[in-house]
Amino acid sequence: MVGVNTLREMYEQMVTARRYEQRLQEEYLEGKQPAFDISAGPIPGELHLAAGHEAAAVGVCAHLDDEDTVTAPHRPHHVAIAKGVDLDRMTAEIFGRETGLCKGKGGHMHLFDPDVNFACSGIIAQGCPPAVGAAMAADKRNEDSVAVAYLGEGAVDQGAFLESLNLAAVRELPVVFVVEDNDWAISMPQDRITDVDTIAERADGFDMPGVRVDHDDAIAVYEAARDAVGRARNGNGPTLLDVQVHRRMGHFMGDAEGYRPDEDSERAQRLDAIERLADDLRDRGVDDAELQELRELAEDRVEDAIEWAKAQPEPDPADAHEDVFVDDPAAASGGDD
Amino acid sequence: MSTDVDSESVWPADADDVDEAVVANWFVREGGAVDAGDTLCEIQIEKVSVDVPAPESGTLAERTVPENGEFRRGDVLGRIETG
Amino acid sequence: MSKPASDPGTGGVDRELTMSRAMVDAIASEMRADDEVFYMGEDVQDYGGIFDSTEGLLEEFDRDRVMDVPISETAYVGAAVGAAQAGMRPIAEIMFADFVGVCLDQVYNQMAKNTYMSGSAVNVPMVLTTAVGGEYNDAAQHSQTLYGLFSHLPGMQVVVPSTAYDAKGLMHAAVRSDDPVVYMFHKRLMGIGWMPAPEGPKTPVPEDDYTVPIGEADVKREGGDVTVATLGLHVHRALDAADQLADDGVDVEVIDLRSLVPFDTETVLDSVEKTGRLVVVDEDYQSFGVTGEVVARVAERSPDALEAVERVAIPDVPIPYSRPLETEVNPQVEDIVAAVESVE
Repeated sequence: MVGVNTLREMYEQMVTARRYEQRLQEEYLEGKQPAFDISAGPIPGELHLAAGHEAAAVGVCAHLDDEDTVTAPHRPHHVAIAKGVDLDRMTAEIFGRETGLCKGKGGHMHLFDPDVNFACSGIIAQGCPPAVGAAMAADKRNEDSVAVAYLGEGAVDQGAFLESLNLAAVRELPVVFVVEDNDWAISMPQDRITDVDTIAERADGFDMPGVRVDHDDAIAVYEAARDAVGRARNGNGPTLLDVQVHRRMGHFMGDAEGYRPDEDSERAQRLDAIERLADDLRDRGVDDAELQELRELAEDRVEDAIEWAKAQPEPDPADAHEDVFVDDPAAASGGDD
Repeated sequence: MSTDVDSESVWPADADDVDEAVVANWFVREGGAVDAGDTLCEIQIEKVSVDVPAPESGTLAERTVPENGEFRRGDVLGRIETG
Repeated sequence: MSKPASDPGTGGVDRELTMSRAMVDAIASEMRADDEVFYMGEDVQDYGGIFDSTEGLLEEFDRDRVMDVPISETAYVGAAVGAAQAGMRPIAEIMFADFVGVCLDQVYNQMAKNTYMSGSAVNVPMVLTTAVGGEYNDAAQHSQTLYGLFSHLPGMQVVVPSTAYDAKGLMHAAVRSDDPVVYMFHKRLMGIGWMPAPEGPKTPVPEDDYTVPIGEADVKREGGDVTVATLGLHVHRALDAADQLADDGVDVEVIDLRSLVPFDTETVLDSVEKTGRLVVVDEDYQSFGVTGEVVARVAERSPDALEAVERVAIPDVPIPYSRPLETEVNPQVEDIVAAVESVE
């Protein structure tokens, strides 16, 4: 049974993540009206927001410490928040500022925070092999840390995912693969591209447990992840955890979702894991005033991060030439031109 | 005789809450011949792009809204001389 | 047969098309003419291609000929190789050129080599389409052109249109080629509503079929003082630079390389023999790439003609996200102006 304090923390993270995406959406659309121009405004480039995916982030990360590794895909913010990534510096990175996590070089799809062992990649499923590698390192060093690789259901047909399942299984490595199943690979519905009823079935062929959480419920995710993370930490190998989530926004902010039936979008709005967890908290005696307080705390935290980020300086253009290597032989010898 | 190319008739129902847009592309130069139904231009309403057909055959006499120009719902986009 | 949405249907050259519409125009025409032609990729059905590369095709063709596929590039690009060897004419799309990494074996060890390894016993008449380029701050994994990578690996023809007219003609030529063709379209040139294009790529496009021969460069602007050879988005930047320089009395010739493999050395040589000065501009990494190749060809064939040379390309760093950083590394109009002035 999950304790009420843990649930309260999970709720706070979920409302933080939701508020974060709402506020980023507003900032992102600055300068992109009346016609949407992806390169305009304070946050240019693609922006993939995760509203509706929060339960998969907090339910798993509640079992992790800073030493545990998480890799996330192109839609990373909710997972980063749940993993404890520095919100100010992450936000500064998304605004392309010098003091961002990656000095403005990475952007929202490429966030790295080694303090909490978090990283993400813009190429789907490609975070899986490095997660296996983090688990391999822990295994070789006899440490009890684990690795979690997040991916979307559209990514489960990639070699990088399937090969990682096998490597993790055959080496009995402490990895949990978390599939966030939001039913849509951009415009492609799952049944058009993947011929299994649930992604969890993929685990069968790799001789590892495959667990489906078929409702977007933070407590159910928490309980399934407790078993999966525990199995990994105890040296019993990997698990595939398949979590139903709901896509409340387009794939990316320029996506008008013309291909998506209205009733599907409406269903995603209706089935809100945050409301569900709020009900669970009320059942455990947490009153509306306290929930309101948690939401306000989250709003303040998000607002502070955005305000801080926007006050940060832009990087010096000359810095574009740095960081290709940590030990740059050309730089050491004065460069070649 | 001339016919206006109006933006109201092509406005999609799911953009009912929006009343500004941009002409993203014109496909016919002023003075160019068009047949009724030909795509004259493409308008961008937030994230949605919509093709605007020529209401009549004739010559595109004027682009009232230039390329990349903003306009309000209901504004006339251009004028076709139907001679 | 209904008229495809991509075809504005105006008569003659009164119609102008965006590059994406011109590309789709050619694909639709080839699919109409030959049942063996089909298109597959991610989000090419209901979405119409993330960068409008298949917009409207589903209105005319069924879902077996415009195929959404699993996000499994190794499988479907490799399947295109197999279908091509079986005699079909598949067009397979990799959404971003950056994603070729996940299926590189099928591209460079299978698609590119099967003809040679078989002593021409088999051939691979497929087209690999892919979106390239940056300048909208999409960072290191979604902004590369990789022109040099594809061109370096032998066995693939590589084309890069910079205008709607060329986009249509090169697509017709690519589908009809009996060899694999990599067709690289620059996102910034497609004329997508949410990613405005510069002036220039939208051109008059005849309704009738025509081909732009693969392997022919195009002089987009004639001039006698300095040759600027480039491709893709930077054709338009070079033309802007040439306009600025003309005000200062410098007469720039702009060559759109248009095909990288096979490469039209003659057109570049003819120009450099006239001007004596060569600037090569590329939106790919500088070292071991297109700029070095162009300079080497001129130096080998006509060393005496080459009085001065300059390369302008992405310095050898991944593409950074932040706007001032990307602007620093991606050649801008003023960088081209400065390079021309430095050789002039």
